Amino acid sequence: MRFYEALDVPPRLALDPEDLKQRFYGKSRLWHPDRFARASPEEQQKALEMTSVLNDAFRTLKDPVQRAEYFLGERGLGPTKHAPAELLEEVFEMNMALEELREGDQSARPQLEAARNRFEQLLAEIDHGLYDMSIRFDEAQDESLLHAIRSGLDRRRYVSNLIRDVDKELNVHLPN
Amino acid sequence: MYSDKVIDHYNHPRNVGSLDKADPTVGTGMVGAPECGDVMKLQIKVNPETGIIDDAKFKTFGCGSAIASSSLATEWLRGKTVDEALAIKNTDIVTELSLPPVKIHCSVLAEDAIKAAITDYKKKAGVPETVPAKAHA
Repeated sequence: MRFYEALDVPPRLALDPEDLKQRFYGKSRLWHPDRFARASPEEQQKALEMTSVLNDAFRTLKDPVQRAEYFLGERGLGPTKHAPAELLEEVFEMNMALEELREGDQSARPQLEAARNRFEQLLAEIDHGLYDMSIRFDEAQDESLLHAIRSGLDRRRYVSNLIRDVDKELNVHLPN
Repeated sequence: MYSDKVIDHYNHPRNVGSLDKADPTVGTGMVGAPECGDVMKLQIKVNPETGIIDDAKFKTFGCGSAIASSSLATEWLRGKTVDEALAIKNTDIVTELSLPPVKIHCSVLAEDAIKAAITDYKKKAGVPETVPAKAHA
């Protein structure tokens, strides 16, 4: 796991953000290209590469979702190509209401706002579950938890895309 | 970018609507795209005597290709037996509608919707999923 190694942090799903930041700053100072101004071209190149890796690593690992995606991806558990079946009925209803809104029926708005808020709440629940499972995985290294995290991440992506799309439409089709 | 057949189905979708979900002879398939809120609902009404699909309806929220794929699917489903319907492949839809590679997932969604509707119908009708010989009638 290149990103963890670059920042010299343990390969865990849950990381202390402050510790991660300090390590990133420390490593970045160490490999800052300015320090290699008089070094050989090979060393200069190496410093550039390390700086780039450190930036990628920090950007990925500081965000819990991106970190989990990276962690799972490294273990061959990439995103699955299925929409969460248990949400489809609700998404269908939401699309019906969106269609009404697009046709100028503002009475669809409360239903859409309610759906949006439910998805927002669901997102918070998913995040809470992901956090909880990450801690448990770090402790027990139970592989089945990784699959549960995978499905949580897939649901998370799906639901946050839904919220984004509904928000867009709610803002486009404003009442006159 | 869209073929004439896609445009035709998009402008004149066949069999848009819904069937009574509670009807025991109706199978409902609901599938969604993994990255966005696109959903496809496809329903079949099967004649329990003949096993022939008498009616098929759909409602799809998605791009023109997704609408055309499900519209075409309902056209093909009508008059087929459940087993014949199971043989419909997404590649058949791709060929018929001349879908470009970036839209193949729309035809996959339609095939998934057909399969889901049939699975739902079989479950409701008490038809065993596989290996009829093992069933206790």
